[in-house]
Amino acid sequence: MSPTQSALLILSVMVAAYALAKILKVSTELSLFLAAVAGALAGGYGLPVRHLAEGAITYLDICLIFLTATLFMNLLKEAGGVAFAVRAILKKFHRRRFMLFLLLVFLLLIPGALTGAGSVTVLITGSLVAVVLKYTGLSEVRVAAIIFLIAGLSAAAPPVSLWAMLTAAGINMPYVGFFLPLLIPCVLGALLTIFILGRKARPVDLEKALAELPVPPERMNWWRLGLPFAAFLVLVLAGRIFPFSFPILGLPLIFALTAVVAVLVSPVRLNIWKTSLATAEQLLPLVGTLTCVGVLVQVMTLTGVRGLISVSVVTLPAAVVIASLFLTLPLSEAVLMWGAAPVLGVPLVLLFNTRGLDPVVALAGMSIIWPLGDALPPTAIIGRLTMDTVGVKERYSTFLKMCLVPAAIIALLGTLMVIFSKKLSFLTLF
Amino acid sequence: MKNQLIRRKAIFTAAFLLVFLFSGLSFYRSRHLKEPVVAGDGLLEVRKLSHYFPGLRGRINDASVYILGKGTTGSADGAALVLGGSHAEEPAGRLAAWLLVENARLERGRLFVILSANPSASTSTRPGGAYPPDYEIPTPWGRQKFRQGDRWSNPLDQWPDPEVYIHYPSRQQLAYMDIRNQNRTWPGRPDGTMTEKTCYAMTQLIIKEKIDLVIDLHEAELQYPVISTIVAHQKGEDLAALASMMISGEEGFNIGVEYSPVALRGLSHREIGDHTQAIPLLLETPEPFLDATRGRTDRALLLTGKDEFVMKAGRHGLLFEKLDENGWPIDVRVGRHLSSIIQIFKVWTELHPERPIQMENVPRYAEVIARGTGFYLKNPDLAPAGRLFYE
Repeated sequence: MSPTQSALLILSVMVAAYALAKILKVSTELSLFLAAVAGALAGGYGLPVRHLAEGAITYLDICLIFLTATLFMNLLKEAGGVAFAVRAILKKFHRRRFMLFLLLVFLLLIPGALTGAGSVTVLITGSLVAVVLKYTGLSEVRVAAIIFLIAGLSAAAPPVSLWAMLTAAGINMPYVGFFLPLLIPCVLGALLTIFILGRKARPVDLEKALAELPVPPERMNWWRLGLPFAAFLVLVLAGRIFPFSFPILGLPLIFALTAVVAVLVSPVRLNIWKTSLATAEQLLPLVGTLTCVGVLVQVMTLTGVRGLISVSVVTLPAAVVIASLFLTLPLSEAVLMWGAAPVLGVPLVLLFNTRGLDPVVALAGMSIIWPLGDALPPTAIIGRLTMDTVGVKERYSTFLKMCLVPAAIIALLGTLMVIFSKKLSFLTLF
Repeated sequence: MKNQLIRRKAIFTAAFLLVFLFSGLSFYRSRHLKEPVVAGDGLLEVRKLSHYFPGLRGRINDASVYILGKGTTGSADGAALVLGGSHAEEPAGRLAAWLLVENARLERGRLFVILSANPSASTSTRPGGAYPPDYEIPTPWGRQKFRQGDRWSNPLDQWPDPEVYIHYPSRQQLAYMDIRNQNRTWPGRPDGTMTEKTCYAMTQLIIKEKIDLVIDLHEAELQYPVISTIVAHQKGEDLAALASMMISGEEGFNIGVEYSPVALRGLSHREIGDHTQAIPLLLETPEPFLDATRGRTDRALLLTGKDEFVMKAGRHGLLFEKLDENGWPIDVRVGRHLSSIIQIFKVWTELHPERPIQMENVPRYAEVIARGTGFYLKNPDLAPAGRLFYE
């Protein structure tokens, strides 16, 4: 049997195992794990425990970021900070839609741009912005689509864009020159998203909205709300400004320290133990999925399935590759999450480089398309997280349909950047 | 219902413990695998990197430095440092360095060899990469096992990563995990991370030992444009160009020359040249095992370099080096490194007769291919007293 036939057979077994598990109503994370085990068995590796364990820790850091950032956000909610902020924003901007949207886009872009994780945007400012948007008369599913898409763009936005960084690292290309090629399409895409999906927004009936909103503790104020965010910003900026004297904390510890500040400045006594347990319970499916995706990627690599997929994509004619980026990048993200960058991003950028395109601008264009896949099964991590955060009751497919038009525009924007990357190379100033 | 839940939790816990136990044993064995080194007649002394920077003492990256020469360590002759295992996942570099320590004799000058420039990186394999934990090289006396290793320092030794890595001293922003990449942390700093401290210690070695040449041995995926080449700092342009010509003419293979980009920071071929008196050269051989389009990730691919998927990428013009049914066997890759080192020393000595480095008894490209890498590895069971070391 040739390597291609062998990899195809293993891939078929994995797909069949996944489908069978889903038919038997096994959870997504366990279905992914079973698909990985089936792939390893079909590949003749038996039960490769070392690979299962190693794959499971592939995204350990990201899981820790999820847990600590969510703990911080949940503590802030318990302290009444979210309710306070929502009421204040509503009071100030309830009649000025343009300014309200601009402010909200800014709020949504910041956390993901600083951390490289759309999930952090959803968790830190997403829930807050969702409440404001819901009171402009937009449906929950529409609000979720806005937050998901802008959260994705925030993750691609500079200074930290993991897709660009991982791909650049894979081809030993310095992560420089990306700031404008990433910033411009991310801001443009975010503004288009909120104005397209929010076109039916109407001024808020302030009194009615305020009556429905929870009342924060009396002693809550902007200082108490802002201090944890300020602590986060200070810790991140300290690492940037004084990288050779400030200790490396890592994002999980930065979020944990931010959570401590939220507890210290809370106007009410918080039950940290209870909130921690609730956070772990809330994130268990997401952490489980990430863990099992890691196992799946490991087995796909071990058995040659990953290679088969990569080589099948990159050996298509360049025009077909570029024309299908809107499909291949989100799909790879859906299966591999950030693993898509080293698996698919590296050969794609090398392909574009050999075809005379500008690798920095082309990679920036690809980086804004990738996060669209965070809404797609089998993982759909950020999509599901956004649905949970916003409290959407509708079916997941309704949410996907709502994302479609702005997502198509973002994909088109990214694809045009790849095609015209040479002409846009003047953007790679810093 | 409650009993069912408890049963399910018990099953999952038991499964987890089994995976934890057996995988833990495998990880433990890899991390503590002792790789024997039987030093040849040319060895003068083995030091630790902490000799040059005490801040590394007691750390896993306090690597062994093998000093080869004739007579005494102090001499007016030239001095070279060869680095294997800067990226531990590139085995030809480590194996070539191994053969130097076990075989080389220095007629003039001194040769410093570090087999595992980043020992921490040699103790882990890449999550998601499905690397084998080790590989074996056949020898006339049996098989010698080596750790596979990874590109980055083991997170067990250096964690967490920052949200973005800012290189010292240029302040260039690099990918966050590259703070554990030995070839992104030159020239290093004494109060930095473990990986930065390791580079700092090697920088001190280069300065204190008046090293003239540093040769950093690497391998590259075939989709990476810098391959089958000598990457040279501007101080070493003439040396690299002449060596390339000599290699093509005398050794039976071609190797190109690339110049170290000024804007690309943290790499040995840039920072050693900028911060020390030495001329740094980085050698790249092809390693299909590293290609993103590779098929089955196993020991066979690592050692034979044969892969149908990477070949298919080549047929579509996506590779910067040829790949056919013969693959890129480890012997070819090790041989290329050794012949390149031999020719670089030769050209260096011709250009700088006042600082000669003359080395003998090192197998060349054709010899390694004919007899195999393992032919030149010595049997640790027969090692003379005081000549057996472990990595």
